[in-house]
Amino acid sequence: MEMFTQTIAYGILVGAMYGLITLGLGLLMGVMKFLNVAHGTFIVLGGYVSYWLFTRYGLNPYLSIPLVIVVMFLIGLVVYKVTLSPLLKLPSVGNRLNSSMLITFGIIYVMDNLMTIFWKPDVRSIVAPFTGRSLEFLGTKLSITGLCGFAVAIVVAVALYFVLGRTQFGKHVRAATQDAEAASLCGINVHRTYLISSGIAIALAGVAGVIIVSSYSISPNSGLRWLLVAFVVMILAGEGNIHAIVPAGLVLGLLEAVGVFIVGAPYRQVVALVIFIVILIFRPQGLFRKRRLTYG
Amino acid sequence: MRSHPGSILGLAVIAACFIVLPLIVDFGSSTMNILILLFVYVILSQSWNLLGGYTGQINLGFAAYFGCGVLLTHLLWKSGVPIYFALVAGGLSAALLAGVIGLPTLHLRGAYFAIGTIALAEALRIVVGNVFPSSLSLPGSYASNFNVFPRYYLGFGIAVLAMVSVYLLVKSKFGLAMVCVRDDEEAAQVTGINTFKTKFIALLISAFLAGLAGGVYSFNRFYFHHISAVFEPTWTFEPLMAVIIGGSGTLIGPVIGSIFLIVLSEIFVQIMGEAHLIVFGVLLIPVVLYSPSGLVGWIDWLRKVMGGLTVKDEQ
Amino acid sequence: MLEASNVSAFYGDIQALWNISLAIHGGEIVTFIGSNGAGKSTIMKTIAGLVKPKGGNIVFEGIRLDRLPAHKIVELGISMVPEGRRLFPEMTVLENLEVGASTRAASRLRYSNVNWIHELFPILKERSKQVAGTLSGGEQQMLAIGRALMAQPKLLLIDEMSLGLSPIVVERILQVIQEVNRTKKLTIALVEQDVGIALSVADRGYIIEHGRIVVEGDTKLLQGDGRLMEAYLGVDLKGKTE
Repeated sequence: MEMFTQTIAYGILVGAMYGLITLGLGLLMGVMKFLNVAHGTFIVLGGYVSYWLFTRYGLNPYLSIPLVIVVMFLIGLVVYKVTLSPLLKLPSVGNRLNSSMLITFGIIYVMDNLMTIFWKPDVRSIVAPFTGRSLEFLGTKLSITGLCGFAVAIVVAVALYFVLGRTQFGKHVRAATQDAEAASLCGINVHRTYLISSGIAIALAGVAGVIIVSSYSISPNSGLRWLLVAFVVMILAGEGNIHAIVPAGLVLGLLEAVGVFIVGAPYRQVVALVIFIVILIFRPQGLFRKRRLTYG
Repeated sequence: MRSHPGSILGLAVIAACFIVLPLIVDFGSSTMNILILLFVYVILSQSWNLLGGYTGQINLGFAAYFGCGVLLTHLLWKSGVPIYFALVAGGLSAALLAGVIGLPTLHLRGAYFAIGTIALAEALRIVVGNVFPSSLSLPGSYASNFNVFPRYYLGFGIAVLAMVSVYLLVKSKFGLAMVCVRDDEEAAQVTGINTFKTKFIALLISAFLAGLAGGVYSFNRFYFHHISAVFEPTWTFEPLMAVIIGGSGTLIGPVIGSIFLIVLSEIFVQIMGEAHLIVFGVLLIPVVLYSPSGLVGWIDWLRKVMGGLTVKDEQ
Repeated sequence: MLEASNVSAFYGDIQALWNISLAIHGGEIVTFIGSNGAGKSTIMKTIAGLVKPKGGNIVFEGIRLDRLPAHKIVELGISMVPEGRRLFPEMTVLENLEVGASTRAASRLRYSNVNWIHELFPILKERSKQVAGTLSGGEQQMLAIGRALMAQPKLLLIDEMSLGLSPIVVERILQVIQEVNRTKKLTIALVEQDVGIALSVADRGYIIEHGRIVVEGDTKLLQGDGRLMEAYLGVDLKGKTE
């Protein structure tokens, strides 16, 4: 029984992190219909920035988050300007989607190898006083890094909810997502909205990277692994459903924890992929139904 | 390609060179190896082109089919099956894999299909890495019989086979269906084309060819430190690159792209080592954005400018 | 207020407008009428910046519009109610209105303008929290107009307002249009399928055919000339366009 509650607790903590990882990918996909296959690579990059700050300046990774946000946001702006915005001139959405996949696939190679050059191919992780330690709560052990990851995920998700729902900028984003032309007729600079959204999306990836480098480890090629997790969560959440992403992550975390409990740890990723395939076959629109409205 | 007598003659001459020259001139083993690798890339990129360039299905996990072919060919050959059978078996196994996964995933829209393919390749890589954690090699007896020529001609032969089959496929009615699905799937469905069947068959053939490429590669290697390495995304990226930069949706594009790839690899590996892929990634982006017809488009343009023939496929 | 000279516009390779020259004067209600596909909507879209003209220029209060992106044109004071309304289906009525005031100038007056729109169309106040996609056709049209008015425009372009709406709703909207024109001196350009509606509110009219202006004049003149109506619009003045 104790093993079971441990598994559940673990699943929740990991699941929140899975949700956090996916937010950036989901934002980009939802707003601009771009599939950023390099998302995992940006996560790793964020991890490296935090790692560097930690080893150079001893900065606690969780405190480094604001800095990482700023750096990754700027990088996101550049990525958008250079590689993604030209795609908006393409005629069809299908075209844009395909081309965004190809381009970001190329970005993976550029970035992975740049990171290998700068930081060597070794595996890195942040080892701080709190690493590996846990809190006991009602008989289950909750790792400190896991708890922090959970907290960050919740804070970010709530912040995103408020930004999208309550701020003017958030309304611009939603308007541009639902009808870009009509949005420009309201005086919204859609290109600038896209630009800032891209910055935010990459910044979100960076935050996820900080959590990953403190809870797990990173190496230049480890991005793909997180990309796949994000894909599964995104599909579970359903298209365009940004607010369903963290809940979907929790679902995946729990399913995976239970699956690994049964099948064994080395096949963790295979469990995730099996879940993925099952969802694709039986419920490709995701677990959380979005309000589908008719347009009078 | 337009069946212009000039281009057919040109091709025949080039083919003849490939066939005859190695018999006359001693290229040395490293050059021969590079050429065999070139053939592998031509086959791989042409098969990716079939699925992606002509049918519009972007497959980002192509390494799965290649790796499957490599692995199976190696294992069968090691256990005594003649190489040619092992090769074909490798191709078929890749096709089988594609078919099994393709059935559920081809219903999905482009993005989800691509995601599914990456997932598949990664899953295979992990599983294979767990099942075969240590190195794989062929027994010594195989090494003593080594002769590079059969490998070269096999590679060349299959490359030609790949080119010819893609050519025939593209020129057929099926080819027309493929291009329709690529350009506008909904419209294609409305005109009565069974889009699922079209995509599925393209996937099977494409995977088969990729598996064959794996077989050719396997034939030329005796030792795999980590067999899971052949399932790595690099084996998807490089043929993809070759196709895009060479010109997707054309017959000659993948060939030009593969040559370009190999040449550039050789140059840059000296300077940058593994990181030569950065150059490719950087090249890929402007090509996708600004020059989707790739090098073939440039060659076309050059030829038009010089008042000559075009090699580009009629669309 | 606004002058277009020799404007030509294309959709891809297809030419939709041929050397259009027109003028809109401050304070008036001007209408563009013509059969389907004549190019009336294209004129609106070109002025609003959704379609970029090739050749010719459009000047609004001394500033050239033809090179500007749509959102800048809104900032200058031109707002459009697009064909098909184009509301944001998953945002509430109130949010749609608020988004309408996205330019700097308009956002300052957002609060008071929302109240104004609520006075003009009380139903919108009632449905404030409702999601736009669930409104009826008439309510959507009212919301679309309200959203465009939130941008504090000097010139309001309305593209095909009456399509699919009941006469009562159309009547109400026309009242609002005229009121706003009178009290706020808002210039209005109206593209309309229904000639009767168009001529009942407009001061001047342009008849468009095959992407060209064929007739221009005061509504009195247009209405008076039965042959004109017959020839270009297939209209007998009691009925609708064919």
